[in-house]
Amino acid sequence: MKTRKHISTLLYHLFVLAFGFCMVYPVLWMISGSFKGNAEILRGGLNLIPKDFVGTNYSTGWRGFSGISFKTFFMNSAFITSIATLGTMLSSAFVAYALSRIKFKGRGLWFSCMIATMMLPGQVIMIPSYLIWYRLGLTSTYVPLILPYFCGQAFFIYQMMQFMKGIPRELDEAARIDGCSKYGIFGRIIFPLLKPSIITTVIIQFYWKWDDYMGPLLYLNRPKQYTVSIAIKLFADSASTTDYGAMFAMSSLSLIPVFLIFLIFNRYLVEGIGTSGLKG
Amino acid sequence: MNKFKKFIYNDNTVGYVFALPFIFGFLCFSLVPMVTSLYYSFTDYSLGTKSASFVGLSNFARLFTDDIFIKSLGITLKYVLISVPLKLAFALFVAFLLTRKSKAVTLYRSLYYIPSLVGGSIAVALVWKQIFARKGLINSVLDGFGLSAINWFGDEKLALFPLILMSVWQFGSSMIIFAAGLKEIPTSYYEAAMIDGAGGWKKFLKITLPCLSPIILYNLIMQTISAFMAFTQAFVITQGGPNNGTMMYALYVYNQAFKYNNMGYACSMSWVMLVVMSIITLVIFKSSKFWVFSEADS
Amino acid sequence: MKKRIFALFLAALMILSLASCGKKEESEDIVLRMAWWGSQTRHDRTVQVIEMYEKEHPNVKIEYEFYSFDDYFTKLKTLVASDQVWDVFQLGGNFPEYMDKIYFLNEFIKSGVVDTKNISDAYLKITQDTDGNQIGLSNGLNTYGIAYDVDMFKAAGVPLPTDTWTWDDYADAARKIKAATGHFGSSGFTSSEFIAGCSTYIGQQGALGENGFFNLELTGMGFKDAQMLAPYIQMRADLIKEGASPDAGAEMEITNIENDFLVTGEAGMTWVAVNQFPTIYDICAKEGRTLALATLPRVSKDGNSGSVIQSSQMLCVSKDSEHKQAAAEFISWFQNSTECNDVLQGERGIPINDNVRKSLTANATPGQQVMYDYVSLVGTFKTPDKINVLSPSGQDQVVDLYRNYIQQVAKGEITAAEAADLTYKAAEAIFK
Repeated sequence: MKTRKHISTLLYHLFVLAFGFCMVYPVLWMISGSFKGNAEILRGGLNLIPKDFVGTNYSTGWRGFSGISFKTFFMNSAFITSIATLGTMLSSAFVAYALSRIKFKGRGLWFSCMIATMMLPGQVIMIPSYLIWYRLGLTSTYVPLILPYFCGQAFFIYQMMQFMKGIPRELDEAARIDGCSKYGIFGRIIFPLLKPSIITTVIIQFYWKWDDYMGPLLYLNRPKQYTVSIAIKLFADSASTTDYGAMFAMSSLSLIPVFLIFLIFNRYLVEGIGTSGLKG
Repeated sequence: MNKFKKFIYNDNTVGYVFALPFIFGFLCFSLVPMVTSLYYSFTDYSLGTKSASFVGLSNFARLFTDDIFIKSLGITLKYVLISVPLKLAFALFVAFLLTRKSKAVTLYRSLYYIPSLVGGSIAVALVWKQIFARKGLINSVLDGFGLSAINWFGDEKLALFPLILMSVWQFGSSMIIFAAGLKEIPTSYYEAAMIDGAGGWKKFLKITLPCLSPIILYNLIMQTISAFMAFTQAFVITQGGPNNGTMMYALYVYNQAFKYNNMGYACSMSWVMLVVMSIITLVIFKSSKFWVFSEADS
Repeated sequence: MKKRIFALFLAALMILSLASCGKKEESEDIVLRMAWWGSQTRHDRTVQVIEMYEKEHPNVKIEYEFYSFDDYFTKLKTLVASDQVWDVFQLGGNFPEYMDKIYFLNEFIKSGVVDTKNISDAYLKITQDTDGNQIGLSNGLNTYGIAYDVDMFKAAGVPLPTDTWTWDDYADAARKIKAATGHFGSSGFTSSEFIAGCSTYIGQQGALGENGFFNLELTGMGFKDAQMLAPYIQMRADLIKEGASPDAGAEMEITNIENDFLVTGEAGMTWVAVNQFPTIYDICAKEGRTLALATLPRVSKDGNSGSVIQSSQMLCVSKDSEHKQAAAEFISWFQNSTECNDVLQGERGIPINDNVRKSLTANATPGQQVMYDYVSLVGTFKTPDKINVLSPSGQDQVVDLYRNYIQQVAKGEITAAEAADLTYKAAEAIFK
């Protein structure tokens, strides 16, 4: 009995690991590409060990462009991304609470509006949005990249609404009997209980914002303001030459912050699965 | 004072206070661009020349005679219908697989999440092309089994599959949301089921799935919308080819708006698709009454 | 809890407002905004010369931006929409789209602000419209050619291309290379092919200057009989069908000129814009292979070459600029100063200023030497008095459709005659 259990555990780990390797293979290829020369990358060999080890990709890449190194780009990205993520998390929780727990006039309308904002392709919204920020005199600043994130993001508002559905209404009732207002219920009950949903929001939004390059491309004008996402694209120029080695090197480095955020917050998702139930 | 208190604690007030960030953002930053794009859809607006004259419904009429648009519609639907169920099933499977209480699970989950962190970068596009290239990984495996090589990107009927696979491969965000949902299911439910003598499979069907259904609904709707908007894969890997076999609707909108300079036409296309998507989303919402179990409403 | 959230919100807003400061402009100095696309090398060198210029002109400050090619045009389009196009900006062959935003250099040339002493008329003409307006100053000369692998030709026993080889010779060479080596005879199906192949093919027919793909005014087609295209389309499709040219799947594996099948050793020829030639020459030289440049094949041995010297890209002054003269002055310096071009090293193409070009050719690499020789050769070909250096807005759509039609012919879904008609109709449609 015991050995059978051991074998099944072993099989489980083997399966998950082998499959996981297939999943990350393309990513490993990118990382190994950061140690290959341009020619070897373009030959497209699928080997993970470079034939000729090239260590200079990281230094040429990090050097950046015209005296602005990737340090600046990383700092810019980190600044924009962390504030925008914070904004998304707070504002989306507010809005989700209103839409899922409070019965107010126009609730359905606003919910529909929210879903509709996701249904038009960015390409047709881009220019009119740009004109608004331009008229406000805020292009070439970080405001257009950050402020909208303090107005809630549909993807996360709806996610939090669905999670709130799992929070029993008896808790609200109990709090009300204890003299808690609807404002208090949000702060004391809903927000704290929303932790898993908030953590997923942080993980996903952080990555999306980090990876976003359309926004920075449109609104930022000076190379000193560029984010990592734009800077990486500067290595690839379809009209002249592309330094793939340096690009892969910087793409690999750019994975580190998002991965760290994931590692830090993922802990809370795994810890005590199935033990922290609301009714448990 | 009492009146003021009554006003402040009124449901309408509370609702608008909490919804204020969204309403403010929507009115300031979303509504105007949306209305502008609707207006453009009745004009021949082009980004280069800037002049926009009113052309009535002719953009919409043109859509029905545009072979590429009709083709792209079919391709997008096919993409949505195949990639969304696959991705969700896969995400749920992995999330469930990784609920075991084990130190290793953290590592595993990271492993499975990494693909979603690289997005549509040029590096990943290159490797994806390479895997499906004529002499790439997949074809050498096929060759090993004595099968003939497949020209993935040369055949317009096949070229969509590498793109679908790539979208399924990046299932990380759905998985994370499922994982958070699984965490919310009270242990007492499972314990009660154990006492009733339910097996693993039965527990999954009777407890996990119903408790997770609001999250499944959420992921279904979000993934459907984002699959309709899928752009990056086709843009970086196939550019819509061969013979428009991977011309997703969003890519065609981009081409018309930026490459061919027909912003007005691109806008009318977007609005037609908005209606299509709204209908599909509405159908999913309506159907959810029958299969989504909500703790708050019960 | 609520208080803390509110405090956080306030803090965030404060940071936002701080971030929005710091865009004050010095009132007395002239601030020029400039942008270009390119690679790391280009960014570094261009910024270096901008700093040189600022040192020489202490009252001018240049705020520069640089992007990759696609991003550059996305950005440019938003700036067109908001009337704030950069004072000095870079444009390629697609500029008719932005014609409304370009401020002609005519008056600055007349007043001597833009120095054209050492630029020949022929090279000024490559960035003029048909009315003789100077749209900008070219950053470099360019033309199309066919790059080929000398050893692969020899291995297949195919005579090396001559200056007057024909499309039949070309197709024949491609087939023989395929048969002898198993590799593609001719690779590449990039956007170069439409201009270098299809469009040139039309210009080669009839008397000199009689036909062109589009007319000189860019208001319609430049040839009447759609079937003039058919033999060319038939040839392209046949080569694809026979495996002597890449099919759609193989083509997709080419991401840019650096991994074209010619460069990876899997093809004998490819289409190139010659300013890309030195790059691929160097890559192949490292592996012990020699590339050479052949002229574009002709319809008949003694017929028109169809080739013209073009501008790879140019610098223009924008109509939105408040300092048009200062912008023109900078452009003049950029193209004429030998010091400036010693830094730039002809990375954007062969300079148009005679002195600059001489000083650069003196220390050219072997690959660059082939390019220089080739451009001089094409310069000796007879060209019509009036040539069209522009491509109409909407050409990209025609190219995309045209490529699909060729694939359909190769698959036997339509005939070459039908493909010719369809291409013609698609091209006509952009003028409606």
